[in-house]
Amino acid sequence: MARKPKGSASGKLDIPQGTLDLLILTIIRRAPLHGYGIAQRLKSLTQGTFEINPGSLFPALYALERDGKLRCEERLTENNRKARYYALTARGRRQLEREEQRWERVTGAIASVLEGA
Amino acid sequence: MTIWYRIRGFVRWLFRRNEVEQALERDIADYIERAAAEKMRAGMSEFEARRAARIELGGVEQTKVRVRERLSYAPLEALARDARYAFRTMGRQKAFTALVVLCLALGIGANTSVYSLMESILLRPLPVDAPDELVYLQWTARPPGEGVPFGMNVRGGMLTPVDSRVRSRSWPYPVFELFREQRDLLTDLFGTMPAPDVEVGGAEGPLVDGLYVTGNFFSTLGVDARAGRVLTVDDDRFEAPPAVMLSSSFAAERFGSAESAVGQSIRLGGVAFTVVGVTPPSFYGLDPARSQTFYLPMRAGQLNVVNAGGYATVGSTPEMYGSPSDYWISAWARLRPGVTSERVEATLRPQFERFFADNVTAPGAERNVPRLEAANGAGGLDGLRMQYGDTLIVLFAMVVLILAVACASIASLLLGRAAVRRREMAVRISVGAGRRGVIGQLLTESVLLALLGGAAGVLLSLFGVRVLAALLAGVDSVPFRVEPNWSVAAFALGVTLLTGVLFGLAPALHATKVDVFDALKGSRSMPDAETPRSRSPVGFGSALVAAQIALALVLLVGAGLFSATLANLRTTELGFNPDRLLLADVDTSRTGLDGDSLKAFYGSVRERLAALPGVENASLSWSVLAGGGTYLRQVTVPGTSVRDAGINVQVVGASFFETMQIEILSGRPIRDHEVESAQAVAVVDRSFVETFFPGTDPIGRTIEVQGEGELRIVGVSTNARHDVIKGDVRPVVYYTYTWDPHPLFNMVVELRTRGEPLDHAETLRTMVRGMNPQVAVNRVRTQAANTDSTINREILFARLSNAFALLTLVIACVGLYGTVSFRMARRTAEIGIRMALGATRSRMLRFALWQALSLGLAGLVVGLPAALIASRFIESFLWDVAPYDPVVLTGAALAVLVSVTLAGYVPASRASNIEPMSALRSE
Repeated sequence: MARKPKGSASGKLDIPQGTLDLLILTIIRRAPLHGYGIAQRLKSLTQGTFEINPGSLFPALYALERDGKLRCEERLTENNRKARYYALTARGRRQLEREEQRWERVTGAIASVLEGA
Repeated sequence: MTIWYRIRGFVRWLFRRNEVEQALERDIADYIERAAAEKMRAGMSEFEARRAARIELGGVEQTKVRVRERLSYAPLEALARDARYAFRTMGRQKAFTALVVLCLALGIGANTSVYSLMESILLRPLPVDAPDELVYLQWTARPPGEGVPFGMNVRGGMLTPVDSRVRSRSWPYPVFELFREQRDLLTDLFGTMPAPDVEVGGAEGPLVDGLYVTGNFFSTLGVDARAGRVLTVDDDRFEAPPAVMLSSSFAAERFGSAESAVGQSIRLGGVAFTVVGVTPPSFYGLDPARSQTFYLPMRAGQLNVVNAGGYATVGSTPEMYGSPSDYWISAWARLRPGVTSERVEATLRPQFERFFADNVTAPGAERNVPRLEAANGAGGLDGLRMQYGDTLIVLFAMVVLILAVACASIASLLLGRAAVRRREMAVRISVGAGRRGVIGQLLTESVLLALLGGAAGVLLSLFGVRVLAALLAGVDSVPFRVEPNWSVAAFALGVTLLTGVLFGLAPALHATKVDVFDALKGSRSMPDAETPRSRSPVGFGSALVAAQIALALVLLVGAGLFSATLANLRTTELGFNPDRLLLADVDTSRTGLDGDSLKAFYGSVRERLAALPGVENASLSWSVLAGGGTYLRQVTVPGTSVRDAGINVQVVGASFFETMQIEILSGRPIRDHEVESAQAVAVVDRSFVETFFPGTDPIGRTIEVQGEGELRIVGVSTNARHDVIKGDVRPVVYYTYTWDPHPLFNMVVELRTRGEPLDHAETLRTMVRGMNPQVAVNRVRTQAANTDSTINREILFARLSNAFALLTLVIACVGLYGTVSFRMARRTAEIGIRMALGATRSRMLRFALWQALSLGLAGLVVGLPAALIASRFIESFLWDVAPYDPVVLTGAALAVLVSVTLAGYVPASRASNIEPMSALRSE
């Protein structure tokens, strides 16, 4: 289970602990999206700083679905396959709002420490 | 909430695994498809793109495994694993498991039984809409009597003594209307009045427990009809057609079912009523002590009632509605939301007092103003709660103590076992189980044990609650509505889980505080107490055992005090011989006999009973001795100012003093021919003489019984207990039933038999019924049983507390036994060495016994003050014994010491029989 040390000044970073759920919920806030779409969007929004592999993404998605924060819609793709689109539930929306506020406080607090130091 | 989602998710995961797998399959395929399409757009070939996408995914199977791990809720899986392991452990230690489950079953069973009764009597609300909004109005006043004016004419004479005052729930109708006008306090007000026992149809015997209700009774309570309709305001008019509502059980008994009863006609007290509806089975009225059988509209009119005992409540008359001094209607209010009963009292009390002052007519009665009270009606009338509340709380305290001892005892057993399992724990911790994991596993074991015990306990309680209810009620038929319900189930489960955690937590914490290295090295010869790095379970275990012994002592002292109380009551000087005495109530109210014919009938009943083979003598009286009701009259000595309003009168038949074997101190008893010819003669008891004729000879003197006439005293008897066997002896006047001017429809016959009294019960019944089939012979019982029924609570306490104390002592001894054996086992090597070095066996025995005795003494030191504090709480239940009675305290302490020695002897003698060589080799 040993991990390679990551996180040099430039390049990819590990997603901070506990924020993956917040990121996923934010990404699908506007429109339902499939797993690949979520991963890609995360990558493009962070200009490649955060990259998530499916081995982490899917467990998170399924746990959120189990906890009633996401629900799944099956839609037909361009190639006429069934694909699963994840959408936010009311419960998920509330969770997102809470997480956002918490995150703002955390980052605000850290920023003020950094400025003050 | 989240935990609920998680459990639901986990359950879904268990049952819908296939669905999740399919979804996962689809998600991953979609991911690869899209990733490959992206790469193909960037110029890769399809084959390469797909391969790259799979690599990017980091392995399809690994991803699936990680999703599965995430969904299979880890704590639950761990729990299931722990449970499986715990069951295996239990299976290996069957005797231990059985012992623990038995202790718990008894403890939890006793608690659940008592709680069931408490729930049904003290906690359960009436089965009506929003019972919390109900209040009933009552008043208290100084009791009528010498020098106390009393302006209230209470119908039916229903005055309940409460402390030094009397209480009534009856009001004049104008006051009832005054209450009803308080629209800002209450949404509605309804009235009730007890209905008389009535004859049904022909000669079916009396129907009891009826209630007159105002028309809004059912609508205000929110009670619907089970069949038909409820009584309404329309029925509650004097000119309305007679309508009655029946209870479900009576409707079923009489008409087959609730539905078929509706519309039928039934004659009650000579009036034909139409059954308009049947109440739901759960509705028993407003008094938990009763089960109402029928409901009549308040203005249903007067019923023809056999007026047996001098008074009876009958229907309301138009005059009663206008009278300001007739107190007859009970008032129940449904309060507006937010209105408290204090506010109701504060508003209504001055209004009622003004009304009382304006309308009082009896001279001086304005000095005894009734005080209005609003009582919480959520649980119905409080008769049962007043009668059994204290008793139940004492019982509950006892069973909680038992469970506490059981918990402590099991904890000390587990503690001993935990030490044995140190190695196992050490292995589990060292292979990475984590201390929390091991604690979780040990707690799972103890909670599972508790659940097993709890399940057995609940089964036991189904039986126990019936035994308890029967013991509590004694000879009274009290409808305790005990049934398994959610409240009881929740209590049982809560207690079970709590005990599981209580007895499991401490041993689990200790067991996991192991020094892995030491434990695995197997240094069993080094008790923990002497290794500085880990705290020993020995000190904690000692505290636990001492606590058990202390609690057992508390229960033993309680048992001793209750037993002493019962013994004191049982040996109370009764003044007559209660042995071989058979009693029966004879009810002649339906015979049509009256006056002389009735007296002649009683005379011939007595003669024929006295002539029965095996019967020494027979008599009759108005009430039984030692446990009959009181029948107080004012007695004066004509020509003097000596008077007393509190004199018991006992109306007796021929041979009464001979049958009851009441000693005549001077003069003579009433002769049989004086009974026949209705002579105005009386026998008085010694305390009567002390009250009325101190220092003079009362024989030949005349006394006057108020309302009856003058009597000449012919004899003085010893003091025979008349009403209750607790408390002071009150003066009694005996005179003959033939002289008494009242028709006496209810008498008690007494038979002094040669052998077992109950052998004559059937003969008595058939003989009396044979003489007149209309006579009802009820409650044939022995004098001893009758006396016992008056001290039912004391008998119950004495029996139960003895059983409970014994049980606790046994449980505590099991804990002590376990602890001492465990200690000796750990010291096997040490003992072996000592003996090898020349210690004698008796010295080792003393050493080992001292281990047990020191624990017992520590328990006594803690337990004695605790017992003294606890016995203060039961002081009001004791009779003629002080809460610190030295004999009881010494006895309880001795019982503890003897038990402790016995429990400690077995492991001690085992330790002293250790062969030094084998002890040393075992290392």
